[in-house]
Amino acid sequence: MKRGGADTRLAYGLMAPALVLIIAVMAYPVAWEVWTSFTNFSVRSEGRAFVGLANYRAMLGDPLFWWALAVTIVYFLVTTTAKLALGLGMALLLARPSRLRALVFLAVFLPWAYPGGVTVVAWYWMLNPPLITSYSLVAGTLKHAVDSTLGPGAWAFVSVALFNVWRGGSFTAVFLLAGLNAIPTELFDYAALETRSAWQRLRHVTVPLLRPFLALAVFLSFTGAFADLANVWMLTGGRIVFPVIGTYAYWLGIRQGQFGEAAAWSLSLVPLLALALLVLFRWFDPPAERPA
Amino acid sequence: MSVRGRWRHALLLSVIALYSLFPIYFITVQSLKTPEEDVFGSPLWVADPTFENYTELFESGEARVRGYAILPKVPFVIWLANSAVVLAASVVLTLACAVPAAYALGRLRPPGWRWWRRVLFATYVIPQTILFIPMYQVVLAFGLDDSPAALVVIYSAMALPFCVWLLSAYYANLPREIEESALVEGATRLGAFRRIMLPMSRNVLVASGLFTLGTVGQDFMLASVFLLDRYKQTVAAGLGVMDVSLEELVAVAGVNMAAIPVVILCALFARGYVRGLTAAMLEGA
Repeated sequence: MKRGGADTRLAYGLMAPALVLIIAVMAYPVAWEVWTSFTNFSVRSEGRAFVGLANYRAMLGDPLFWWALAVTIVYFLVTTTAKLALGLGMALLLARPSRLRALVFLAVFLPWAYPGGVTVVAWYWMLNPPLITSYSLVAGTLKHAVDSTLGPGAWAFVSVALFNVWRGGSFTAVFLLAGLNAIPTELFDYAALETRSAWQRLRHVTVPLLRPFLALAVFLSFTGAFADLANVWMLTGGRIVFPVIGTYAYWLGIRQGQFGEAAAWSLSLVPLLALALLVLFRWFDPPAERPA
Repeated sequence: MSVRGRWRHALLLSVIALYSLFPIYFITVQSLKTPEEDVFGSPLWVADPTFENYTELFESGEARVRGYAILPKVPFVIWLANSAVVLAASVVLTLACAVPAAYALGRLRPPGWRWWRRVLFATYVIPQTILFIPMYQVVLAFGLDDSPAALVVIYSAMALPFCVWLLSAYYANLPREIEESALVEGATRLGAFRRIMLPMSRNVLVASGLFTLGTVGQDFMLASVFLLDRYKQTVAAGLGVMDVSLEELVAVAGVNMAAIPVVILCALFARGYVRGLTAAMLEGA
């Protein structure tokens, strides 16, 4: 169907509020961050001079960066895999009819519904009790065990990662449940005839059909990976000392006041996230052209 | 399903319910304890429950004495009210911007519509880490510090791309006849949208609204940076400045208090949330 220019003008008019909102919020901060990463802006020196790629060069030459990058990638992969596995498992269980289903669904929904920004605070203090409490001994033993294996500050980091998995797994479960509901049931009936085991069915039918939803869940997991860490970092005044790109950028920016380097550090993840975005677009967009 | 299969299914469902609820149960148990029981009691249950930590949140007066420490009064009711305002305004602003954009992208399909949607979505790639520094500059430039308006605008921008994506997928999947029959009867495009398509997309709107709520609920950092006036803070910002090492249990009680209205909202809309997500993903829903 050929559409006239009036429709196009109307379309742009309707899109305007959304675009204005995004540009108003994002344009200056993003430009600031990119520009700052090319300057020596810091509380230690006056003024800000353009230093080209010096911050990036310093970052890439810093062994800590590579260690932090490795930790970050492992963190991304482990939390995302855990969220997907838990989410898929819970979604599959909830997709089957049962009398318990409505109640269990609400329970599974709750971790995500519980306001994450403040719950992580409670969670953090629960797992890292600041004073003597009834379970200090258990918490202390755990902390000691994890810290002595993975390095100082690891338990604080792991406890927040656990929160990220708990909350994110709930979101993934509900999201994948919606995805399962969108798949015509006949496909599962055929699959039941064609395959022998439930495991085969999962691998060859369910997962491929859910692929676009899995891709979106992975992407949102990646982009949301630092939110909880950032919250706890701010709340505890930087008690998370385990080297991860996100919190180290904070440390550089807020504690050290080296904004140039902090900007370079936080932008260093853009290629990784952009790659995830490209994979997502390949698998998820356009939904309209996906064979039913 | 066999009887054994049904039992196994019920058992597994119970396990995931326990797993999901345990952390909430755990923090709730701690929040119901007296300071003595917090030290000497069992971590898993509370023998002598007290609502002390909760009532402390609502106490009036300038200072509270607890042990040897004198703590400032916490204007918790005001925080709750501020949070509710921020939340409601964010959901309204997000939907007000997302719905027209989604209709344009899903139905009117201007040139490059797919790219517009992708560009919106690509904003999620921007690392949020130190972005609050320039954001705060903008907020100061507009004189919006200590104002919930700044948070509302930023939260909406964060939730918007996903909501546009969801809603536009739904509008794009609606059969063309639905819109055309209204046009034949003399309705305008926007009239047909408002009277027919918008009500049909109710569940998708619910899904978008709840997603926005999740986004707002996840933030602690921006709220704590932008809102410094104690009486203008949201729950997140306020709990952040409490001296947690002294008031751990009160802070935890505050988390639970803040969660109650959100949980009720979610319980009411949870079904619609899943239906809405499904509807957006289905073809010709």
